[in-house]
Amino acid sequence: MAVRPIGAEIELTRPSAVTGRASLSTVVTRFARKKPLGALGGVLMVIMALTAVFADVLDTYDPIATDAAATLAAPGPDHWLGTDHLGRDIYSRIVHGARVSLIVGIASTLLGSVLGGVIGLLSGYTGGKVDLISQRLLDILQGLPLLVLALVMSASLGPSVQNVIIAISIPIIPRASRVIRASVLAIREMQFVEAARALGTAHLRIAFRHVLPNTVGPFIVLMTAQLGSAILVEAALSFLGLGVPEPYPSWGRMLSVSAAEYAQKAPHLVLFPGLAISLAVFGSNLFGDALRDTLDPRLRGA
Amino acid sequence: MYPRSLVTTVVALGVAAVAMSGVPAVGQAPRPGGVLNVTQREDSPQGFAIHETSTISTVWPAMPCLSNLVIFDPLKQQESAESVVGELAEKWAWQDGNRSLVLSLRKNVKWHDGQPFTSKDVKFTFDMVRGAPDAGKLRINPRKGWYENVEAIEAPDPHTVVFRLKRPQPSLLLMLASGYSPVYAAHVPPAQYRTTCVGTGPFKVKEWRKGEFIDYVKNPDYFIEGRPYLDGMRYVVIKERGTRVAALQAGQVDVSFPGDMSPTSGEQLKNAVPGIVVRPTHENVNNNIIMNMKKPPFDNAKVRLAVSHAIDRRALTTAVHQGGGVVGAAMAPKPHGVWGLPEKELLALPGYGTDPAEEKEKARRILRDLGFTPQNPLRVEMATRAIAIYVDMASFVINELKQVGIEATLKQVETAQWHAMATRGDYQIGANLTGIGPDDPDANFYENYVCGSPRNYSFYCSEQVEKMIEQQSAELDPAKRMRMVWDIQKRLEQDAARPMLNWRLDHFTTWPKVKNLVPHQSLYNWGRMQEVWLDR
Repeated sequence: MAVRPIGAEIELTRPSAVTGRASLSTVVTRFARKKPLGALGGVLMVIMALTAVFADVLDTYDPIATDAAATLAAPGPDHWLGTDHLGRDIYSRIVHGARVSLIVGIASTLLGSVLGGVIGLLSGYTGGKVDLISQRLLDILQGLPLLVLALVMSASLGPSVQNVIIAISIPIIPRASRVIRASVLAIREMQFVEAARALGTAHLRIAFRHVLPNTVGPFIVLMTAQLGSAILVEAALSFLGLGVPEPYPSWGRMLSVSAAEYAQKAPHLVLFPGLAISLAVFGSNLFGDALRDTLDPRLRGA
Repeated sequence: MYPRSLVTTVVALGVAAVAMSGVPAVGQAPRPGGVLNVTQREDSPQGFAIHETSTISTVWPAMPCLSNLVIFDPLKQQESAESVVGELAEKWAWQDGNRSLVLSLRKNVKWHDGQPFTSKDVKFTFDMVRGAPDAGKLRINPRKGWYENVEAIEAPDPHTVVFRLKRPQPSLLLMLASGYSPVYAAHVPPAQYRTTCVGTGPFKVKEWRKGEFIDYVKNPDYFIEGRPYLDGMRYVVIKERGTRVAALQAGQVDVSFPGDMSPTSGEQLKNAVPGIVVRPTHENVNNNIIMNMKKPPFDNAKVRLAVSHAIDRRALTTAVHQGGGVVGAAMAPKPHGVWGLPEKELLALPGYGTDPAEEKEKARRILRDLGFTPQNPLRVEMATRAIAIYVDMASFVINELKQVGIEATLKQVETAQWHAMATRGDYQIGANLTGIGPDDPDANFYENYVCGSPRNYSFYCSEQVEKMIEQQSAELDPAKRMRMVWDIQKRLEQDAARPMLNWRLDHFTTWPKVKNLVPHQSLYNWGRMQEVWLDR
C-alpha cells in the first residue's frame, strides 16, 4: 500500500480546513469520540504538563524544606499527602517532581528522536554501504535493553539532570532511526522524489525538504510512545540513585531508599509517587497508541 | 475441649515467645556450632586491609580474621583504659617514666598459613603504620598520626616488643586496642590484604565473592582455647537500607550492620518481630561538615562560621536521625563519651545555641557582610558519600544553608572514591561522618585536626592548637587533661575547623538466638566475634 505524500494530504484535507479555527475543537472532539482512552491519556498528559509548568504556584511548601516536627506525618490538612522521613511535604515534592519527569522525558525523547531521525533519514535515503554500516551499528546499540544502556551511561556520566537526559536519549536513537528509515525507504521511491531528482535538486535538499516532512506522522507517534518509557527509565535511574540528585524531588527517588525503609510505618511514602509515575506512563502510552492509530494510514479505521 | 493440635500450637508459641524474649539466660553455657549471618552494607572497599581504611564497611567484616596486641574486652559495653585486655600480648607494662611500653607476646600463635607469629610481625606492622624509614608502605595511611610519638619499635626477642616514645602518651594503649590496629604478617605483602587475609584471628576467610558475601570458617588453631564458638560466619552484602531491614525481619540475617539502624527502623522491627533485640548504642561516630580551607570560599573563616551557625543541630537529630543522636563538640558527649564538653560550654559555641532562628540570623549577617543574600546566594557544590545515612544528612544541610543564602548542589561519591577524594581536597564542602576508633582525644585530634594528617580533610592547620594537642597528650593527670581537651574542643568549633552536627546513636539489632555480641560505645572495636555463640 502506497503512503500518501504530504502534498497529497493537504489537497485532500483542504475542504475541511476552510472551516478554519473551529476545526481544532472538531478534531479534538472527533478524536475523543473515536479514541476515548487516548483522550483520557491526553488529559493526563495535559494535567502533568500544567502541573510541571505551574509547580511554583501549585506547591504548598518548599519541596526541599525539612520539618523536624513533622517527620513521617500521615496525609492530613497540613500536608495533603503526608511528609517523608525528613519532614518534606510529599505533595509539593510530587508537584515539582512532575517538572523533573517531564523535562527529562521530553528532552531525552526529543534528543534521541531527532538524532535517530537524522541518522534514519540519511541512512534510508543514501542506501548502500552507508545504510548497511549505520544500521548494523544501530543493531548493536538496539541489542541492549533501554534501561540497561541508560544505567551504564548514567553510571559512567554521574548523576545530574543533563546526564540523565543524555543517558536516556542514547538508547532511543536506534529505535527512532529504524522508524524513520522505514518511512524514508518507501518515500524515496515515490514519484515526487523522482521528479525532484529529475529536476536536478541536490540530494540533501531532497532528503530534508521533500522526504523528511513526510515522516512527521511516524515521528510524532514515536515521540509520544517513547515519552512514557523515558519517564519510567528516569524514575528507575533515580530509584537506583543514578538519576536526579538529592535533595531535589524526583518521583523515582521518592520511591527509593528511605521510602522503602519506612514503607511499613508510612505507606504514603511509596503510594503517591508510585501513583504519579503510573498515571504519567499510563497517560503517555494511551495517548501515544491512539495517536499512532489515528496518524498511521495502515491502522486508520482499524 | 480444644483440639490437641490447637493446644500444641499454643504451647509451642508460648515456648517460642519465651525463647525470643531476648533476655539473656543467666548461667547459660555457650554452645559451640552454627553459622552466623551478618549484615554487610556494601562490599568491603579495602578488603581486609584495615590499616588502609577509614570505614566500618571494611573494619566490620575484616576484624574476625585479624588480631591486635590488646583489645577492648568484647563483653564490656563501656570502653576505657580499664577494659583493655590482652590479645596477642599476654601482658604489658609502662617503663622508663611512661616512655616505654613493653609487651610480652603469646607463644605458639600461628598465622592462618601456618607460619609462626613473632615480635617481628609487630615491628613490621607498626613501623609501616608510623611511616618509619625502610618500613613497608601502605597505599593510604589514615592513622599515621596516632604513632607520631613513637620513636622506635624494638623486638629484643621473638616474644617481646617495646614501643619507645618521645614523651609519655597514656593514649597509646587505647589506640592499640582499637579494631583499627591489627597486626599484619611480615611475610605477606601489605597490598595482599586488599584481596585476601592472612591473620591470626578466630576465623579464616573461606571465600570472598565480591558484591555478594564474605564467608568465614572457624580457625582450628586459634590461640584462645575453646574459641571461637561459631563454626563460621557469612557477611551478606545488602546495599539497600530498606532491604537490609527487611532481611533482618525475615531472619535471613541474624545481626544488623553497626550504625545502620534508626530508632524508627528499630521500632518497626520490634513491632514486626516482638522477640528481636534492639539495643540503643553510641557509635563514636559524628556527623560533621568538612570545608576545604585550601580553596575559596571556605578558606575564609567567616564563611565557615556562617555554615556552622546555619545548621540547626537539634532539628537534624530529630528529623534525620529520629532522635537517634546527641549534640556535642569534637569529643563524644557525656554520658556516652568520657571527654565531652559540659552543656553550658557547648551552648556558648557558634551554631550550638538553643535558638535556631537567632543562629541563622547570625549566619545571614556574616554572609550579608560578604555580599551574599538569599537573592544573591553563595553557590557551592556539596559532596557526600553515596550511602543513605550520608545523603539524608546532606539533604537536610542543603536546606539549612539555603535559608541563609548558600545554594548547594549535591554530588554523591562512591565509597571507594570518597576518602581519597577528601584526602586530596578535591571538593568544596562535604557532608561527612567521622568515626573514631577509641573514645580518646589523641585518636581523634591526631587523626583529624593536626596539620598534614591524611584524615584532616578540611586542611585545618593551627600551630597553637597543635601545641595544645601535644600538651594534653603528654598530661598524666586525668583532671588536668580533661580541662585541656575541653579547651581544644572549644577552639576547634570557634575556628569552624570541622563543625560537628551531632553524634550518632545506633539501634543495633540481633535475633535473640545471638549471644555474647555486645555493642560497645565505639562501633570499630567489637567485631572480632570470638565470644559469639548461637542459642539454637
